[in-house]
Amino acid sequence: MKAYKFLRPQGTGVFTGYGWPLPAAGPGEWVSADLDPCHSGIHACAVYHLPLWLGRILYEIELDGEIVDDAMKLVASRGRLVRRVDRWDEQAYAEYTRMCADRAHELAQEHGLEGWDAVIEPSVPEGGALLGFIAARIAEEIDGEDGYHRERATQTDWLADRLQLSS
Amino acid sequence: MSHSPLHISCQEVVELVTDYVEQALPADQASVFEQHLNFCDGCVLYVDQVRKTIDVVGELRAEDVPEETKAKLMSAFRDWKRG
Repeated sequence: MKAYKFLRPQGTGVFTGYGWPLPAAGPGEWVSADLDPCHSGIHACAVYHLPLWLGRILYEIELDGEIVDDAMKLVASRGRLVRRVDRWDEQAYAEYTRMCADRAHELAQEHGLEGWDAVIEPSVPEGGALLGFIAARIAEEIDGEDGYHRERATQTDWLADRLQLSS
Repeated sequence: MSHSPLHISCQEVVELVTDYVEQALPADQASVFEQHLNFCDGCVLYVDQVRKTIDVVGELRAEDVPEETKAKLMSAFRDWKRG
């Protein structure tokens, strides 16, 4: 199954620090782990999970074995990195951050929530993960959980289109 | 836990951090906890500090504590229990 995984710049897991075998001439080596979501296993993203786990470096990963798809992530018993998603570079990251900031301003101003404006611009240097959350959080204030999910879907569509990703 | 199942606050990170580092959080809570860490550098630092503290304290044996410090601690505990 094709999926995606954000890593730290050195090729290590964001939360585990695990050093992933990186693809070179071909895919990286297979990595196996017991499957226990959030505690053990190969954690990855379907396209619609990407805004929740946004990071600086993105890889395409092939998942195999037992695979669990919950609301927030994929977890598998086996995986290997296939390629780095080169379109996810500094420029794309900055564009995504700006898009989320603009959406956050737009939502806040349309619905009389200008108090959020004081939060949005100072948060831009923190990056796209935070701005994506802020935009979704404002949408949630306007329209509850449905609003939150709609905004996350808007962010997913932007990433899929800009990076030409498919599941 | 948060009023929303979708996210948690920094305050809730502080409340849940011990369960998180001990891998005692249910998977759904661990997921929203890590999503918060993904965008909040302040909480990442806090969790790192808690981990380091637990590592250091975990390596400490009773015989490593100087007698004077032990006596002060016992006195403090006695005062605390008296109220």
